[in-house]
Amino acid sequence: MKETNIMGIETSCDETAVSIVRNGKHLLSNIIASQIEIHQRYGGVVPEIASRKHMELIMVICQEALEKAELSLDDIDGIAVVPGPGLKGSLLVGLSFGKAIAFASGKPLIGVNHIEGHIFVNFLNNEEILFPFISLVVSGGHTSLILVQSIEQLEVIGKTRDDAAGEVLDKIAKYLGLGYPGGPIIEKMAKTGKDDAINFPRPLLNSNGFDFSFSGLKTAVINYIINSKAAQQEVNINDLCASFQRAIIDTVKHKTLTAANKYNISRIVLGGGVVANEQLRKELTEDAGKSNISVYCPPKELCTDNAAMIAVAGFYKLKAGITNSFDLDVFTE
Amino acid sequence: MNILGIDTSAKTLNLAVVNDDEMVVDYRINTVERTHSALILPLLNSMLNLNGIKLKQIEGIAVSIGPGSFTGLRIGLSTAKGLSFALSIPIVGINTLESYAFRWMDLPGKLCPLIKARRGEYYFAVFNKKHNSLHIIKGYQCADWNKIKDELLRYDNKVFIFGCGLEDILKEEKVEKSKNIENIHFITSNKNIANAANIALIGEKKILENTYDDIYTLSPFYIKRPAAEIKKEKDDSKDI
Repeated sequence: MKETNIMGIETSCDETAVSIVRNGKHLLSNIIASQIEIHQRYGGVVPEIASRKHMELIMVICQEALEKAELSLDDIDGIAVVPGPGLKGSLLVGLSFGKAIAFASGKPLIGVNHIEGHIFVNFLNNEEILFPFISLVVSGGHTSLILVQSIEQLEVIGKTRDDAAGEVLDKIAKYLGLGYPGGPIIEKMAKTGKDDAINFPRPLLNSNGFDFSFSGLKTAVINYIINSKAAQQEVNINDLCASFQRAIIDTVKHKTLTAANKYNISRIVLGGGVVANEQLRKELTEDAGKSNISVYCPPKELCTDNAAMIAVAGFYKLKAGITNSFDLDVFTE
Repeated sequence: MNILGIDTSAKTLNLAVVNDDEMVVDYRINTVERTHSALILPLLNSMLNLNGIKLKQIEGIAVSIGPGSFTGLRIGLSTAKGLSFALSIPIVGINTLESYAFRWMDLPGKLCPLIKARRGEYYFAVFNKKHNSLHIIKGYQCADWNKIKDELLRYDNKVFIFGCGLEDILKEEKVEKSKNIENIHFITSNKNIANAANIALIGEKKILENTYDDIYTLSPFYIKRPAAEIKKEKDDSKDI
């Protein structure tokens, strides 16, 4: 059988990444240049700075990905790019570069939605997970529940109405002066805290639909800190982080399991940076197991933004005959 | 040598092919509905197809690297890098102001190309000509019109000013077309709006002289730093 090597290019936020995946299974290279250190100084991603950095790095990272895979461009069978969602200026660098390579080399161009990448990266380690499944994608930019019927039939059944879960983790960490990105920092502090110390709200927990809302939770946490200070009560940061994290985990876990039950689906597929949270992975897997639902999650390093996920999704889309024309343009939401 | 010129620094998307110091084709779209990102490759494809030029016949890429719209510059340069890489041909970045000056080389005096920036400012430079080549004597900078005017009024001889965003200055100064303010002569012409052929002509010279750029390090010539970076520096210095 002929081998199919897909090059994935991902620049939707603050990571410049290029990866080459063979047959949707073998990770030949996965190069990620993170700009975290630069944006840490600003407490969040600065779009213009991110775009400039992508422009500086894109060619270098692409070459590195080919060298690591010990391939030349001639060995590549398709270019997978991300039109969105993400930061417009950032997306444009990877998209324009990838489109031009595909155009000039006569290779198929495959547009992969960033969220599709987070979902289908699970195919890298789990052969092909059977359709249909429910997917939970939680990151700094997204909190979505998606009903996945096939590689091309994805239906968003719920999403956040305001902030993404990861965004709220970032904002609280910034507010507490703990650094960026917030998720891993809060997870670490939560380990030694009591998660029932403070009863934070779980917005929309018992609403009928599958939408999320986290900005109310963010306000509740900030108000708690302000009120404690005003009352000259010391805030135990570990307890606060544990209780805050508990509220997020409870919410996404409950919604995801309810969705699986409602649609009578026995497979849940996780993706996105927040899914690297061990407590979330563990609890969701355990609770789902009680109802005979299997939970798939990517290895931690493939939860955060990477290009391997774009290459894997690109492989399966190409296999299904889905390619794009060269007028493919960016979208932000 | 067939050189593809790309200019996405302003509103007009412009592509051209030149060969042996002559323009071969020049295609442009004043994008309104669709973006440079959506149109650049379809335009390139049509331009080459309709004129019987094969992509493999392109021997070098010259791209306008700014100053200009930050996003526009990145679309052009990312595309140029992808093409250059996939076709294994040289890439050369051309300063947009220099390419404007190149277009008006024949004028008898100093040349001041200008490109509209944000917040009422303009990117500009002043060039002298010597032996049919351009020598920069002021710039590259970003300033408001009054500062630029003061600079130009200092020169004894004629300065010709042209580029993108001239209309606003003409309105402000209430000068008619082809009029002047003392030694400052305004050139308004639709030749101002797109420049890929000039980019490619300058690029061809550079490629023939082997002074093309490194595909890895070539970056846009922004002139202005990101606003957030400047603000952060100010805030940090307050803390000290």
